[in-house]
Amino acid sequence: MSNENLKNFEPKDIQRGIWNQETVSEIEYKARYGKHRIRGCGATRYMPTFDDIMILPSQLSRMSIDTYREPCETRVVLGKRFATKPLVIETPVMIAGMSYGALSKEAKIALAKATALTGTVISNGEGGLLPEERDYSYRQSIQVLPSRFGFSKRNIEAADMLEFLVGIGAKPGLSGHLMGNKISEEIAKLRQLPTGIDLHSHPRHGDAFGADDMVVKMEQLRSLTKGEVPIFIKIAAGRVKEDVKIAVKIGVDGIIIDGAQGGTGAAPVMASNHLGIPTMPALVQAVKALEEMGLKDDVSIIVSGGIKDGADIAKALAIGANAVAIGTGAMVAMGCKVCLKCHNGVCGFGIGTQDPDYRKKLDIDEAAERVANYIRAITNEAVLLAKAAGKSRLKNLEREDLRTLTLEACAMTGIPLVGSDYVFGQRFGFGE
Amino acid sequence: MEYLDALKIKSTQINNMIEEKLIKDKELIIQNPHSMHNIATGLAIDGKVTIKGSTGFYTGGFLEGASVIVEGNAGWYAGDNMMDGELIITKNAGCNAGTYLYGGTIVIRGSAGSRVGYGMKGGTIIVCGSAGRWAGQMTLGGKLILLGKVGKQLGESMYKGVIYIQDEEAKNNLGGNVFIDKITPTEVDELNTLFKKYDIDAKGENFVAIRPMTTGRHTYVLFNPDLTPEKARKELGKNPKKLEKGVAYE
Repeated sequence: MSNENLKNFEPKDIQRGIWNQETVSEIEYKARYGKHRIRGCGATRYMPTFDDIMILPSQLSRMSIDTYREPCETRVVLGKRFATKPLVIETPVMIAGMSYGALSKEAKIALAKATALTGTVISNGEGGLLPEERDYSYRQSIQVLPSRFGFSKRNIEAADMLEFLVGIGAKPGLSGHLMGNKISEEIAKLRQLPTGIDLHSHPRHGDAFGADDMVVKMEQLRSLTKGEVPIFIKIAAGRVKEDVKIAVKIGVDGIIIDGAQGGTGAAPVMASNHLGIPTMPALVQAVKALEEMGLKDDVSIIVSGGIKDGADIAKALAIGANAVAIGTGAMVAMGCKVCLKCHNGVCGFGIGTQDPDYRKKLDIDEAAERVANYIRAITNEAVLLAKAAGKSRLKNLEREDLRTLTLEACAMTGIPLVGSDYVFGQRFGFGE
Repeated sequence: MEYLDALKIKSTQINNMIEEKLIKDKELIIQNPHSMHNIATGLAIDGKVTIKGSTGFYTGGFLEGASVIVEGNAGWYAGDNMMDGELIITKNAGCNAGTYLYGGTIVIRGSAGSRVGYGMKGGTIIVCGSAGRWAGQMTLGGKLILLGKVGKQLGESMYKGVIYIQDEEAKNNLGGNVFIDKITPTEVDELNTLFKKYDIDAKGENFVAIRPMTTGRHTYVLFNPDLTPEKARKELGKNPKKLEKGVAYE
């Protein structure tokens, strides 16, 4: 063969293991700027998901429920441990906290309208409560964040649910990042910030340093809400077992666990990809912790991070969650293409931007209808799976209805591997 | 004048009782507070509450409208998230006094612990004694007035607002992203009015203002220490064992 021909066989398109496009791009960035990269959307690496679990259908051992002709209850009551007015939502799917700032005003309003169409709750996210969001939402959750941008007693009064936020899955141990190009006049006013400055909020609550103080803080919040509003604590998945036990001692009504797959408007790449543990094992640990304390029925669990379809909901509920929160999924329903560019404020779909021209591209009512459709569809999917498993209530799904597909998922969840009754690792309520 | 003996009352009950008493009479004296937490939380009725003794955590948190006087020391987080009204502490306050202050006035006649005015968004805090480190960290608005000595990292990463000080050594204790500026005549008047109102012996003319840098990016400790091989080479000389003591990192 001549040299000319050999050239055609040079390995142009082959990637050498870890030295893939992403690694090369990361190194190029660092070589140029001498600091870590901040980017939108969250982790890009592979993490184990609920897809490694299968749901067992009902056959002879139990009867199935007719998918098309028989009802299945989807209503959920959240935070009934101490709160006198627990939160009642019609589907176990809530809209996760995404800030006005990370998202455009139009996107926030569309999400709020979607909750009114489906009867669920929306969380306001960092940076204050957009008045329109409160006006249109079915139920409003208010986050109490370490930064307290735009936060006052008025926000607490508007809340149907409070989230005392300790961390988020995409950057646990860190706090909100909002790049200067997304801080418009209006956002600067709401957050009391100067325009054009890169915002890095702080991760510790200035009025609750540590869990002991939070016990007293919780009493204060109860007093302010007259004990009516359910108070949740939102933690990023890490040492979940310990964190959940501490949260229970603090006196919360429920816990929101954000897995490492959780999305974000901007976060250091290192934080997204290497901090925290994935959603599925985090949920298992939380349920275990509550069962050890004998409080599984009292303390609600909401799980978020990578929830995308009805199967994820059904499996999360079967493992022990009371509800799930969706963020990226809802954004994709509005038109997001997950291009990882949320941080720079140039979002051609009018979602993750504050640019007046780009914002015009999002039709609020159409987007709201699409998000509502998405929530309806994934709720239906979960119902379909539950009925096939013989449940007339979504919340009746249980761990016994699950089997794991991979050794990894089996060891992580303590649910037996398909085709066997074996658990490789710690058992989780199976023949102990 | 109404009285309330707090000796056998729980902190979960006291706020309802304070409200009831204030509806009857605009003045209330609380005796035996025994360092109780959460006294006067979210009190939204006009009136004057005098606490005869020291209080625990979160005194006057989310306070809205009332005037609360603590005749003693106050624990951590005094006046946190306060909306409006007045909180006067006659002795010292613990850490994080006036954290996330939204409005109203806090006067601490003694000294304050660390992080006074942490993330405050409005209102006024006056500390007549010294203030610990990280005072006014991440301030988003309002006025922090420190009459005595100040600790390290003063005003770290302030975004808005202003800190007034008269400690001449403060220039060595400044946090990142702030600078010392002259005080304007209007500000002097404002300070003197406040000092007169609360009977504080100080003159606005003696103060300087600390303001946030509003141009360019914030700089952070994250990007330190810079890798400084030249400096290390000089400091270490020919004796690399010095490294064990961490000389190169200080």
